[in-house]
Amino acid sequence: MLLAALWWALIGAPTEATMGTIQRIFYYHVPAAAASWTAFLINAAASLAYLKTRSLKADALAVAGAEVGLAFLTINLITGPIWARPVWGVWWEWDPRLTLTLAMWVMYASYLMLRQLTPESDHQPRLAAALAIFFAADIPIDYMAIRWWRTQHPQPVLFGGPDSGLAPRMLAALLLSMAAFLALMGMLLWLRYRQERLSQRLRLARQEQILSAVL
Amino acid sequence: MSARATAWAVLRRDVRIEARSREALLAMGFYALLVLVVFSFAFSADADLTLRAGGGVLWVAILFAALVALDRGFAREAAEGTLSGLQTSPASAAAIMAGKFGSNLILILGMEVILLPLFAVFFNAPSGTNWGGMALVAFLGTWALAANGTYFSAMSLHTRQRGLLLPLVLLPVSIPAILAMVQGTQVYLTGEGMANYWLRLLIGYDVIFSVLGLALAEAVLAVE
Repeated sequence: MLLAALWWALIGAPTEATMGTIQRIFYYHVPAAAASWTAFLINAAASLAYLKTRSLKADALAVAGAEVGLAFLTINLITGPIWARPVWGVWWEWDPRLTLTLAMWVMYASYLMLRQLTPESDHQPRLAAALAIFFAADIPIDYMAIRWWRTQHPQPVLFGGPDSGLAPRMLAALLLSMAAFLALMGMLLWLRYRQERLSQRLRLARQEQILSAVL
Repeated sequence: MSARATAWAVLRRDVRIEARSREALLAMGFYALLVLVVFSFAFSADADLTLRAGGGVLWVAILFAALVALDRGFAREAAEGTLSGLQTSPASAAAIMAGKFGSNLILILGMEVILLPLFAVFFNAPSGTNWGGMALVAFLGTWALAANGTYFSAMSLHTRQRGLLLPLVLLPVSIPAILAMVQGTQVYLTGEGMANYWLRLLIGYDVIFSVLGLALAEAVLAVE
């Protein structure tokens, strides 16, 4: 699916009027953000679920969501400036959308750092879950940023006001790319989730082994 | 004891400890002053700098000092063993959190009372400065820092690199609040622009994160 999306992005879609070929990054830049935010929302839901049920599955899903989300956000934050440089003339602007997205990146990086720096205990998932819920507040604000404030970042293209909208072939390219990215995210999420579950079980087994050796 | 009485008791105890030793206040105040001085050297503080970046300079100084205060808040409890006492008491986690927040707020505000006049002197605050407005922004902004800071300092108690984690976690979340604080201060300092928008943003931010902090206090303060 990814290969098809790549072909479509580079050849299939018509060239955009103002920006020319560089605009094609749009087909990677936007779906990367969509995949990232979806992963973070999964992280938020899993964190809430963990606080309610203390289920280890929820915690594993939370970690997976944060890591995968961060990876896709990195793609988003790299493709953005690559696109911006030829079009705006600068690599970076401190407008609300960009600033909030960078803040989100730092937030989830610090979430992963918290998990790293907290010693293994029953505490760690609980603290991390509480933190994740705080950070999840940034997601809707970031999404609405280009609607609430006048930003350098382009106005909404898909669901915006009367001036927005995409040519049909561009829309098709975008949707295909979205589907491809979301599928990739889902797959990575699943893999990471399984890996985390395995390491949880390993940890438990090791603890039991130590205990039985002592007792 | 009711939750409100518990919170009040925690607050009064902390304020009393601080009032007797005054070590945190002096350390923070001095730290903030040093930051101001370094900034004035780094940017050759003249009227132009104050007009363009005064708000930013002031709040960076307050932020650094606040980090000192926040770090100490729970750390002292853990070091002296009073933390387990608090945790095993029937007091609700939210009440303890609220009490701690209150004492942190008072401490940082106390430092600002000393700092603002010094700022006015060193950075030649223009005569048209609206000090009432400045006080309001300072209060709301400090509330935001104290609310999130208290919560995250409780969270970072059990981590290995406590001093590192607290700023790392606090600053990104505070970005909207910091933006509002700095811009609001700038408006009142220079007399240009409208502060209403920033004030509303700060109030909204304060409400949301105070509620979140209280609701999730259980998660970070529960017994081990």
